[in-house]
Amino acid sequence: MHWINWVIVAVYLVVVVFDGLRRTRGTTNIEGYFLANRSLPWWAVGLSVMATQLSAITLIGTTGQGATDGLKFVQFYFGLPIAMVILGVTLVPFLHGAKVYTAYEYLERRFDPKTRSLTSLLLLISRGMSCGTIIAAPSVVLSSIFGWDLIWCVALIGVPTVLYTVIGGVQAVAWADVKQMFVIAGAMLAIIVVLIVRMPIPMDDALHIAGAAGRLQVFDFSFDLSKTYTFWSGILGGTFLMLSYFGTDQSQVQRYLAAKSVDEARSSLLMSAYWKIPLQALILLTGVLVFLYYLFQPAPLLFNPRHDALVRAQEPAAYASLQSRYTAAIASRQAAARVASTARRSGNEATVATALTEFRTSEAAVSVIRTDALDAAARVSGEASRDVNYIIPRFVLDQLPLGFAGIFIAAVLAAAMSSIAAELNSLSTATVVDFYQRWIRPTASDGHFLTVSKIATAIWGVFACIVATYAATLGSLIEVVNRFGSFFYGSILGVFVLAMIPRVGARGAFVGLLSGMATVGAVAIYVPSISFLWHNLIGVVAVVAIGLLLSVGASASATPVRRSTP
Amino acid sequence: MTPPFRTTLWRVLGIQLATLILLWLLQSRYAS
Repeated sequence: MHWINWVIVAVYLVVVVFDGLRRTRGTTNIEGYFLANRSLPWWAVGLSVMATQLSAITLIGTTGQGATDGLKFVQFYFGLPIAMVILGVTLVPFLHGAKVYTAYEYLERRFDPKTRSLTSLLLLISRGMSCGTIIAAPSVVLSSIFGWDLIWCVALIGVPTVLYTVIGGVQAVAWADVKQMFVIAGAMLAIIVVLIVRMPIPMDDALHIAGAAGRLQVFDFSFDLSKTYTFWSGILGGTFLMLSYFGTDQSQVQRYLAAKSVDEARSSLLMSAYWKIPLQALILLTGVLVFLYYLFQPAPLLFNPRHDALVRAQEPAAYASLQSRYTAAIASRQAAARVASTARRSGNEATVATALTEFRTSEAAVSVIRTDALDAAARVSGEASRDVNYIIPRFVLDQLPLGFAGIFIAAVLAAAMSSIAAELNSLSTATVVDFYQRWIRPTASDGHFLTVSKIATAIWGVFACIVATYAATLGSLIEVVNRFGSFFYGSILGVFVLAMIPRVGARGAFVGLLSGMATVGAVAIYVPSISFLWHNLIGVVAVVAIGLLLSVGASASATPVRRSTP
Repeated sequence: MTPPFRTTLWRVLGIQLATLILLWLLQSRYAS
């Protein structure tokens, strides 16, 4: 990469860290450190929530997914606005009004300490590991692209993030997120403009070709539980997934607990709902444009340079054969695309249909060769190819004008850092508030808790970096943890739903939580055909049903918490 | 100044609906 691009990356890193360090004002007590003294404006909280969700893998993986699979992934987000509206009128007033530091703290007030500790512990296990994967995913891509050792890529992302999160607390995290959101949006817009300007055929023709290749198919109305992305899994399963994530995951809850008032907290949530579907559609559309771009430019056989080099070195004859088949196939596909574009201007529908059929055939031929190449890469490297994650980085580095690569790498770092910072901050909050303060040292000075919080953030940061460094070897373990995480996300939401039903007692909530997790686990193991998007819905229903059943008839052992705000 | 909750709510729903309509139009016109 050109030195000017590196200067852009360095400037970005210095600004983010310097600004984070500057924002230590107000972080002299634990409320300032974890909740910014509940002083953040709604728009900053909203941008922070958006930046937190937009991880580096969204930026590189989702765009790549757009290039290979088209727009259908956007259906995953259809439930998000619905979830935000439901949370805005239910859980947000509850949690903000309860003046708690963690969502789980509220569960102790409503039920008992063991429900609080269990839910908080589940968060620590799952998010601690997932924080490692959030660092690992872009690090692996950067390591392969630049040929660096993985540990340096982990350090490039992890060290500055840990530094400003430890020192500045949530204040630094939230304001860094705001800037990072602008960097990410700027980089995406710049890429889109370049792609449109460089398209060699009229955009209308190009979109017809993308449509013929299946890249513009958005909606799938089939009610098939085994299909991951359908309209119904997005609307129903997606709503419950988003309710679980935004309503019970401390990394999200902490954002709106830091808002000035309930109204500001609600508005911040809705603000992130404003742009989520349009933003995801735009990210996927960028991938579709990259697909179109490579119809007219020679695309690499394998986008992952390390895998490309491995196959070339270890199976030279097979590689040469694949490469020559591929060169011929993409030349024929390019010709077919141009014919299709010209045919559209002829106005003859039969000619257009024939040309598009011809194009589809040539596209299918290219796909077959790519699949063979990906199989060879997986065989030689002994790991899943994940070539989709390399499409956009390679496109930006190889094809875009000077400076764009620097902005893009800065955006990838920004996306990774904003997600990691939020996770570290929430992990530290849950560790200190739900465990250290609750069970080990209930009373101490604010200064003491502040120091402990900073140490906890640093320890979680180091832990996440270690997990990230060993991500390749821990692959299956991380998958197990993520799978385990999907068992309880919906169940925790179920406990929060129970908390809002006055008659439900502590026993119903705790047993309901355990039963919900067991139910989802059983469904995942014995009915694997049911897509994971439905797991949260199953978890919520199981917990609420069992919790209610156990509470019916039981005397009002539960003492409902009075809502302190309307 | 925070906009009133109901105003924000209608804006959110409006933007989502507009996006869905745009995506539907994109699919109807180009997907084949």
